[in-house]
Amino acid sequence: MRSLSKALLLGACVAAFAAPASAHPDFSGTWERYPPPGEKADPRFAPSVIPDPDLKPQYRAEWEEGQKTLKKRLEEGQPAGDNYVHCIPDGMPAMMMGMFPMEIFQRPEQINITQEAFNQTRRIYMNQKLPNWDEVDPSFYGASVGHWEGDTLVLETTGIKDDVRFRWTPHSDAMKITERLRLLAPDILQDQITVTDDYLEKPWTYSYSFRKMKDYKLQEYVCTDNREYVDAQGNQRIHLEGNGGEH
Amino acid sequence: MSRRLVLGSLGLAAICMAAVPAAAHHSFAMFDNTRSVTLHGKVNYYQWTNPHAYLQIQADDGKGGSKAYTLEMTSPNMLHRGGWSSRTVKPGDEVTAVMSPLRDGQPGGLLLVLTLPNGKEMLPGVPNAQRYKITS
Repeated sequence: MRSLSKALLLGACVAAFAAPASAHPDFSGTWERYPPPGEKADPRFAPSVIPDPDLKPQYRAEWEEGQKTLKKRLEEGQPAGDNYVHCIPDGMPAMMMGMFPMEIFQRPEQINITQEAFNQTRRIYMNQKLPNWDEVDPSFYGASVGHWEGDTLVLETTGIKDDVRFRWTPHSDAMKITERLRLLAPDILQDQITVTDDYLEKPWTYSYSFRKMKDYKLQEYVCTDNREYVDAQGNQRIHLEGNGGEH
Repeated sequence: MSRRLVLGSLGLAAICMAAVPAAAHHSFAMFDNTRSVTLHGKVNYYQWTNPHAYLQIQADDGKGGSKAYTLEMTSPNMLHRGGWSSRTVKPGDEVTAVMSPLRDGQPGGLLLVLTLPNGKEMLPGVPNAQRYKITS
């Protein structure tokens, strides 16, 4: 019996050391875009420049035309896309650079990431196989799985809706987004994003950086009185009389 | 009670703005950022909703009457980070508001500065606020 007890104890110890809960960094908490507006980034932590997507010729002309419109909108102080005007979330991958803070909720088997704007939440299932794109009903956040490679959290996502586009970039139903998240410093998180798709000549890669916020609690964001609309000429207008927030 | 408030320095505005991210839910092109209008009157309603909060003021029209002006603000989360709450103003409060007026002539605009009954100036955290000229 003594030897059995010893064996059991040994087994328990081996199990404990094989997969200690602290083996992976903890990304839990609330994060803001880094650098925040008005602040100069520490070059060690700065996000990458986002290059233009290297689209195949048959998709490129439409994209370039759209970029002219987009550039004009940005110069006018307008946001990069139409979704927000209609109170519709960014979806992936744009939500990883959503305009408000985001919260990461980390458990060994599942990680949720919530962007404050529109309460958008993506759910990442750990150590599962990524479904094939045609096994997934297209959605804003797609199907996401994750695993750890040392200190790096690797996420794979597919199943993004056709009209959920980052920088107005068209994509196929089979688009795959691979992300590598790691801490560059205790309070700086980096997300390296690689988009692979048949629409692209080569993968589209860029990175975002986030800084941990102290004691910030995400706030609710539910649209109940969207008074803006786009008129027949494509200009944004406003109905002065709202619905009082009733819904 | 008709009176006009001329805002000289916006130094305090600049300090408060630093806490608010420069992000936008939509275009602000529908507001005329080359001029401002200052309104003085009583609050009809203050609505704490997404995607924008709204403030409606029954403002003096300078002719002995009044007119309702609807002012768009930023979103509650941004306002909260800028020191506002759902109770910062209430119906009946006498306030002074500086707005960028709507280009289409409707009685309304984008709220730039609000002076509360106690004299405190509040900024709603308009993205790229420096682009909006205060001329009134």
